[in-house]
Formats: sequence, C-alpha cells, structure tokens
Amino acid sequence: MNYFKTITDGIFKGNPTFVLLLGMCPTLATTSSALNGLGMGVSTMFVLICSNAFISLLKNLIPDGVRIPCYIVVIASFVTILQMVMQAYLPELYRTLGIFIPLIVVNCIILGRAEAFAAKNNVLASLCDGLGTGLGFTLALTLLGLIRELLGKGTFFGAEVLPSTGNMLLFVLAPGAFITLGLFIAAVNSFKNKKA
Amino acid sequence: MKKLESNRLNMAVVLTAIAVAAAGLLGWVNGFTQEPIAQKSAQTVSDGIKSVIIGDRDIEFNVAPAQERNGFVFHKVTDAAGRTLGTAVESTDPNGFGGNLKIMVGFDTEGEILGYKVLEHNETPGLGAQADEWFRQSGKTGRASGSKLSDLIFGVPVSTGNHNIIGMNPAEDVMSVSGDGGQIDAITASTITSRAFLRAVNAAFKELFGYTAADAVSGASY
Repeated sequence: MNYFKTITDGIFKGNPTFVLLLGMCPTLATTSSALNGLGMGVSTMFVLICSNAFISLLKNLIPDGVRIPCYIVVIASFVTILQMVMQAYLPELYRTLGIFIPLIVVNCIILGRAEAFAAKNNVLASLCDGLGTGLGFTLALTLLGLIRELLGKGTFFGAEVLPSTGNMLLFVLAPGAFITLGLFIAAVNSFKNKKA
Repeated sequence: MKKLESNRLNMAVVLTAIAVAAAGLLGWVNGFTQEPIAQKSAQTVSDGIKSVIIGDRDIEFNVAPAQERNGFVFHKVTDAAGRTLGTAVESTDPNGFGGNLKIMVGFDTEGEILGYKVLEHNETPGLGAQADEWFRQSGKTGRASGSKLSDLIFGVPVSTGNHNIIGMNPAEDVMSVSGDGGQIDAITASTITSRAFLRAVNAAFKELFGYTAADAVSGASY
C-alpha cells in the first residue's frame, strides 16, 4: 500500500469533483465565493477523514446486513459535531454555509469512500484516502469559488481587485456555477486525453 | 479478527451500540458548545441593538429586557438618565426572495428610523443580499442586469434615486417601493427583496405605534 499515492490519487486522478463528478449539490451551491468554497471543502474534509478512520476501525465489528445504517450514524454524528463546534466558534462561516452543513450527511463522496475504501482497508490507508479525497474536493471548490467570485463580484477572497463596473453577476448566480464547472471538466478531460 | 456474521442478534446489538455511542458523543460535545452558542447569539442581538439605536454616538445606554409580541421582539433602549432613546424591533417577513427575511430596525420615540440591520436572509448574493447596505445609502449610478443577453452578462448602467430610509418616519412617509406608489427605489433587479424588507419595516412600526402612512394610501397592497 503506497500511502502517498493514495493521497495524490484523491487530489488528481480520482478528484471527486472534476473526475468522479460526485457531490455536485454542495459544489454548485456553495462556491459563490472562494472563502465559502474553501469553508465547505474543509468542513467536508474533516467529516471525510473522521468517518473514514472510524469506519475502517469498526469494519470487522459491523455485520454486512446493517453496514449502511451504521455508516450513516457515524457520518451524521461527525457532521453534527462539526455543526455545533462551528456554530460556537466560527459563527460567521456558519451563517454563510448554514443549511449546507447538515447536508454533508448525504454527500455521496463520504458514503462512497466509506463503502468503496474504508470498509476494505486499514485505518492508516483510510485516513490517507480521506485526506486526499478531502483535499481534492477542497481544491476544486476553492478554484470554482475563486473564479466565480472574480468574474461575478470582482473580488479575490473578499478583496476588491477589478472595478465593479465590469462585474458579470451571472457568475455568482446558479448558471455561472454550471458554466464554470463545465469549463473546468472540459479542461481536465483535454489534459487527460493528451496524456493518454 | 473475522467479520461478525449478519445474524439478527449481531445486527441489532451492533447498530444499537453504535447509535448509543454516537448519542453519548454528541451529548458530550453539546455540553461544551451550548454555552458559547448561546453567548454568540446574545452578543449578535446586543450588537444589533447598539448599531440600530446608538450607531456611532459615544453615549452610555441601557437595554430593557426583551419583550415579545405577535412574533416581534422589542428592545427598549434608555440613556443613563433613564430617558427613552428608542426601540429596536426584530421583525421577520416570510416572503423574501428565498424565504424568511429577518431584520432589526430602530425607531426613536417619534417613530423616525435610526438604523437597521439584516439579521437573517436567503436573498440572491450580489442582488437582494445588498439590502444590508442599500437602504442606508443615497442614490448613485450603478449597473444592473438587463433583459438582453449582453446586458445580463455585463450589466446596464442605471441611475438609482433615493433609497436611504434612515431618518424617514413610516407615520409620515409612505414606505414602499416607487413602483408601488411609495418613495423608495427598490434594489435594482431585486424588487421582491425590497418589498419584503419594507414590509418588515412597516410591520415593525405598526406593531410599535399602531398605524403607518402606507395604510392610508394603498390599503394593504404595499
């Protein structure tokens, strides 16, 4: 087991957003600014690492017949912990991400990694997989948010860099999310095809 | 260790044990986050009261315990000598563009608006979300999205008129958007948000003083 490769696979070859196209709902909805994208990415990464580690630890104790409910209970617990801690110590971020935090429970990346990886591998490998996939998701969301914020509001992580007269509001709204994501996926595919 | 067999007993025991452990863990986290969460929300309310009544003035003030009536929350503010400075009202309109729009608005004893703050909203970023600033600025030239494709992308220049509500008095001024016969220009491309905002202001005033100028003019259609 090559742990380093497990991490980089999650970021590049198996990037959950640009390659696997998983977790599209939070991807499209929360990337209206770079900071929101980063916040959502890091939140998801936290849950992913914790749930991957725990599920890997408990994999032999959980009978196959009830594995999905058990995974969901574990994932939901970590999401609720995240929600309470964020509400207590990062209320500003909680205000902007709001309803998307509880929805991490049903993010298919997390259940997908639990089922496809953590249930079959040891704890350290599962930690690495959670870290890699989480980093890949965070990177994708931050990039999307960065570009949408720059084109839509003329700001870079909240700091004004472009004059406000040229703002393309469209990019902060829902259609901009689809357009930006589509262009990114096209770029990733063309890069992959060239290599192959 | 071999994987546990999927018989009825094993499944029931394991799922129950995991659920109980999860509940215990959540109870423990709740124990130490409960207090900061309550503090933060009390802090938000007291900051809001200060900003809508006192603003930048450097004076001592006291806030009376909050009173709740018909879904509105009132915070009466007095100065050090006990004279009433005004009342901050929390008011929610359920028909914002994306649901509830909750604001806090401060009135002096005559009903003049001292300040406001958007507490919770589900409005469009970059459009309706500007309500936080829009209603305290006087008019200037801006850009809005238009109906043609190029206008939708690059925006069209618009000159915006008066939309500063600070200093207005809902007893004398008709607080509705100009398109509905009022005196206030709506946020460009966000009339629904603007209507919801002004409804919340009017409703707060009405609950506090009993009537508004908008009632006399247009009945219920503001």
